[in-house]
Amino acid sequence: MNDEPKSPAPKAFGVGQGMDYGELADVQQVHAAVQREKREPRVGAEPLSIWLIAIYGLAVFFGGAYLGRYSGNFSSGGLDPMGAPPPAKKAAAGPAGGEQAAELSPHDRGKKIFAANCQTCHQANGLGVPSQYPPLAGSEFTTGGSRRPAMIVLKGLQGPVKVKGQQYGAAVMQPWDKTLTDQKIADVLTYERSDWGNSASPVIAEQITALRKELANHPESFTEPDILAVPADAELPGGPPAGGAPPKPGEAAKPGEPPKPRG
Amino acid sequence: MNATEIPLKEPSVSAAAGDAEQLERAYIDASTRVPVLMFYTSAMAWLILGTLLAGFVSFKLHSPDLFSDISFLTWGRVRPAHMNVMVYGWASMAGMGTAIWLMARLCRTVLRYPLLLVAGAGFWNLGVLLGVGGILLGDSTGYQWLEFPHYAAIILFVAYTLVVSWAVLMFRYRRGEQIYITQWYLLGAFLWFPWLYAAGQLMLFVVPVQGVLQSAVGWWYANNLLFLWFGAIGLGTAYYMIPKVIGRPVYSYHLATIGFWTYALFSSWTGMQRLVDGPFPAWMITASIAATILTMIPVATVGLNHHMTMQGYFPLMRYSPTLRFTVFGAMSYTIFSVIGVLISLRSVARYVNFTQASIAYSHLGLYAFFTMVIFGSMYYIVPRLVGREWRYASLIKLHFWASAYGIGLMTLMLLAGGFLQGANMENPSLVFSESTETVLPYLRGRSLSGILLAASHFIFAYHFGLMLLGLGRTSTVPTFLNPVEAETSGGH
Repeated sequence: MNDEPKSPAPKAFGVGQGMDYGELADVQQVHAAVQREKREPRVGAEPLSIWLIAIYGLAVFFGGAYLGRYSGNFSSGGLDPMGAPPPAKKAAAGPAGGEQAAELSPHDRGKKIFAANCQTCHQANGLGVPSQYPPLAGSEFTTGGSRRPAMIVLKGLQGPVKVKGQQYGAAVMQPWDKTLTDQKIADVLTYERSDWGNSASPVIAEQITALRKELANHPESFTEPDILAVPADAELPGGPPAGGAPPKPGEAAKPGEPPKPRG
Repeated sequence: MNATEIPLKEPSVSAAAGDAEQLERAYIDASTRVPVLMFYTSAMAWLILGTLLAGFVSFKLHSPDLFSDISFLTWGRVRPAHMNVMVYGWASMAGMGTAIWLMARLCRTVLRYPLLLVAGAGFWNLGVLLGVGGILLGDSTGYQWLEFPHYAAIILFVAYTLVVSWAVLMFRYRRGEQIYITQWYLLGAFLWFPWLYAAGQLMLFVVPVQGVLQSAVGWWYANNLLFLWFGAIGLGTAYYMIPKVIGRPVYSYHLATIGFWTYALFSSWTGMQRLVDGPFPAWMITASIAATILTMIPVATVGLNHHMTMQGYFPLMRYSPTLRFTVFGAMSYTIFSVIGVLISLRSVARYVNFTQASIAYSHLGLYAFFTMVIFGSMYYIVPRLVGREWRYASLIKLHFWASAYGIGLMTLMLLAGGFLQGANMENPSLVFSESTETVLPYLRGRSLSGILLAASHFIFAYHFGLMLLGLGRTSTVPTFLNPVEAETSGGH
């Protein structure tokens, strides 16, 4: 302890704390940092500026307006900030059939299904992988009548196959009838037939339902001859009336079917 | 008064022996030495640990296979460990260190009952250590910033009780009739924290509320920890350091009062704006958004008050490390708050909620504002505790620029990446994986900013270590960032 204060003042603060400030023994020199300090902060008393009051007003107004507009009527069950009664909103959303997926077009729904299930082999650009996975873009199987691609997707395909003049067949395509619903198969077919420059007719779930019944007893994957046995332009019965290819007169849409909105 | 009229006090001419105010300050500083350095040293150790954990977190986002075989280094454990080390280890401990020093100075009495604080620091360290260990071993509770398992939470609470009883005792022993603005904020923070922490613990773990309300409680806690605990300490510190260093009174008492009380009133309503489009009654979220809009009142008031205090003295930031860090932090507070309002509006929040942007927001508050203010206060306080001046001006400069550029880059990267991520998630023609892939370049940029921040922390820790070992300069002149021409440097 080499800091015995030389001035009488410290007694007033009453504490002889050990202060080891290195080689500086003189308490007057020791506190250089303290000495050079400005005095403890004080507070001025400038008045409020008129602009600040304007900002307060603006914040209160905007905050209040926001609370009023998006309060959902302060109802405990209202998740909708606009406070619209839930049933009225459902009614506005469309006919009974339009549930949660109603906002997406069949094409967009199909894109998601494609990305989740088909893209690994057929690639995002639909060009497949040379000599392994056949392309879908511009393929005569995809863009012809809807029956051939629907058969392939439902039951799968194995063995050699020739697409766009190239030979494929190293890989096996699995059947999807156990994995995907009719709606999903219809959507993914609609997507494949209308993207990447393809422009064939869309497919709806009812067509797949019919085909699924028809093929119910077909046990295994199709091979190329099975597919070629079907005419290239064979359409599934019951296509949408506003579809790309007009339905044949004999196979007119079922009378009770509501027209599907097209994306 | 203008800047050139503030001469550096000539140190060789010792103050008149009767300059009681100076001696008083010297004794107070000496009495705060052990507890404050204990808090600071622990905080520095946690800062370094938190920085290392942050490195894992950041790199794992774009290289997920990094150390994925080691269970305690997996994402789900390292991320909460990083956040809790930074929040409770670094920010809370450093903040308490500064708060203790400020309390002693502003109560104008030597620090009494130092054992309360020493025990508090010990228990707090133990709590954080157990908590982080618990998280890494898989004991995390899963609520943001409340991940510490209950045994650690109890120890933290005990430690906190010790510190806050000390603060209340000190306040009872205060001398002088005036209570300065900083004390309002510090006392507020000391009393708000146990309210927040107890409410969070009670409603989530002791008597858990039902279902989705748990996440409402969780976000209310996390947001208010940022506002009412760190925000209050940070603002209080800035209210002391800015007028102290430049030697000029705070611009307006009225502004300070309005700023403080509106802050206390509106902040506690916020939190649920982070849950826009979540399964909550709309009015709960909207009430929080409206309160966030109303926080513009204290933000504009406090910002104006600081700005008008600084008016004409901005050139001093060239010299004083404290002023430079503190003003950077105070400005960041305004930016943080404005961005907080913007991203809480429903029309924006639907894009940025639950994306990287909300991480940018947390870092703006906890780092660009709070941590920078605390760095500034440490540059002021530590020399007064160890009796040495900072050794290298160059290291302080490096520390400042690495921190400033680091946090700036991080905020930009995460905000831009977050907006892009949110916009892609809204786009129905994109699959989810595409929305995350587009963020990858921004995440790499964030890792780069993290390297800058890590460098700044290592530099500061080294410099701080030198000071602790008594290897600072023995000088009567403070370490200025740039050579001082004439006597314009301010009383640092």
